[in-house]
Amino acid sequence: MNSRERFFAMLDGRPVDSLVLMPITMMYAADQAGVRYGDYAADHRVLVEAQIVTAEKFDLDYVSCISDPGREAADCGAVVKFFPDQPPAIDEQQARLADKIELARLRAPDPLGGGRMHDRVRAAALFKERVGYSKVIEGWVEGPCAEAADLRGINSLMMDFIDDPAFVQDLFAFVIEMELRFARAQIEAGADIIGVGDAAASLVGPRIYEEIVWPWEKRLVDGLHALGARVRLHICGNTSRILDGMGKLGCAIVDLDLASMADGRAKMGPDQILLGNIHPVHVVKNGTPEAVTAAIAACHRECAPRFIVGAGCEVPRGTPAENMMALTRYAREHRP
Amino acid sequence: MENAKRLYEAVLEGDAKTARSVTEAALAAGVDPQKLVTEQMIPAMDEAGRRFECNEFFVPELLVSARAMKAALELIRPLLAARGAQPAGRVVIGTVKGDLHDIGKNLVAAMLEGGGFEVIDLGVDVSPERFVATAREKEAHLIALSALLTTTMPSMQATVEALQRAGLRERFKVMIGGAPITQKYADEIGADGYSENAAGAVALARRLSAPM
Repeated sequence: MNSRERFFAMLDGRPVDSLVLMPITMMYAADQAGVRYGDYAADHRVLVEAQIVTAEKFDLDYVSCISDPGREAADCGAVVKFFPDQPPAIDEQQARLADKIELARLRAPDPLGGGRMHDRVRAAALFKERVGYSKVIEGWVEGPCAEAADLRGINSLMMDFIDDPAFVQDLFAFVIEMELRFARAQIEAGADIIGVGDAAASLVGPRIYEEIVWPWEKRLVDGLHALGARVRLHICGNTSRILDGMGKLGCAIVDLDLASMADGRAKMGPDQILLGNIHPVHVVKNGTPEAVTAAIAACHRECAPRFIVGAGCEVPRGTPAENMMALTRYAREHRP
Repeated sequence: MENAKRLYEAVLEGDAKTARSVTEAALAAGVDPQKLVTEQMIPAMDEAGRRFECNEFFVPELLVSARAMKAALELIRPLLAARGAQPAGRVVIGTVKGDLHDIGKNLVAAMLEGGGFEVIDLGVDVSPERFVATAREKEAHLIALSALLTTTMPSMQATVEALQRAGLRERFKVMIGGAPITQKYADEIGADGYSENAAGAVALARRLSAPM
């Protein structure tokens, strides 16, 4: 089985020859290819080459367009600060929607309009050309909470949830329309699955998540399904209190970061594919290959059979190659 | 003091308008401003921190509580300064050079302020030299460094080294935190303490600023 065959068989519940292996690599991938991260985030050709080098070196089952959460916000006119060798970051002091009135004037950018979103679409197309018959191609969009935080400023958004929930709903409506257009462009270019990153959703409690965030995540996931995409949900941080809702979104794959896999399995039921979740810093970067193997085996035991091998979040820069190889060996030597 | 009790509730509920008006009324009625801080505001933020640790409060609730506390503190701080009252300690805080992520740093700053510390917040992307210069200028007791990215963690070490070069390492305690940070890393770079979360940071700051 090649990676694509293995992945789609796993999703459809058919037999596979080994576990699927899908750790998130970004800065780690740039380092593997010997390129600076600023170039990786700015030029899809650099990103694609680095992803392929990394996927081949560690036998990963997929390549991903993910680089940083600032692409959509940049095209909306947010001030994004670029660094030579680390991810671009949004300058919250000059947030695009520092003044809430600006939302009425904001227009969703064209994902094929030559901006940072277009660069990601080009990455999906180049992946299709280079590895479209062997690796799974993952497109990426931001979830409502993450993107709203990028546009409004995360501190302001957190207080908006309490001060002005109606504004948050309007902002989420804008975000979902924009993200669905962005996803459509990536799917048409060649993406097989769409990853949804909604990092800031782990910062709100279950009440705000269920009442305000979840309904918009659901609209996004339903919209992605209507476009024919499979969906991977990734919420960074501790999601222990919102696992129920995450499981009800209908995503093909749910990543867990700082939450118990056993808890995830109990809350989301036996059919949900869970991905993760050894600790990126404590185990993946700072641990030994033996520790990596033991930790991923524990995750596997807690989640089998609907389980994909990965770290809780991005594989950190500086992770020893032997630790990554331990993940690869575990995936290839085990079945679901 | 009945009115003052409403200050506790307003801070805990994140109601900045009420926190401010209750403080104004209490001060006009002759309530000791120091008592408003120690008997109402610090206990309210301690309770907010406790609820945060117990997953009863989350980031939105903690931020609005901090905002309410600040609204009241704006009225009280000049009065305390005028009578020469000393804070629990003076902390220079910031997100290290190259890193623009500030929500964790803001939570720690708010909790420290709520814990009775004077907080000098340098914002994000702060150079080691600026941490050192500000700590010296403001006669701080503590320097608190935050980083979200593994790529910016070395700026923490650079700040400790800048203190050493300036001959000031013994004068300021250094505490660090952020998603990729571990106690092991704190030990490696010679920081004085590490906290995994905002409430823990207050306890750590109290411990580090306690007289030996």
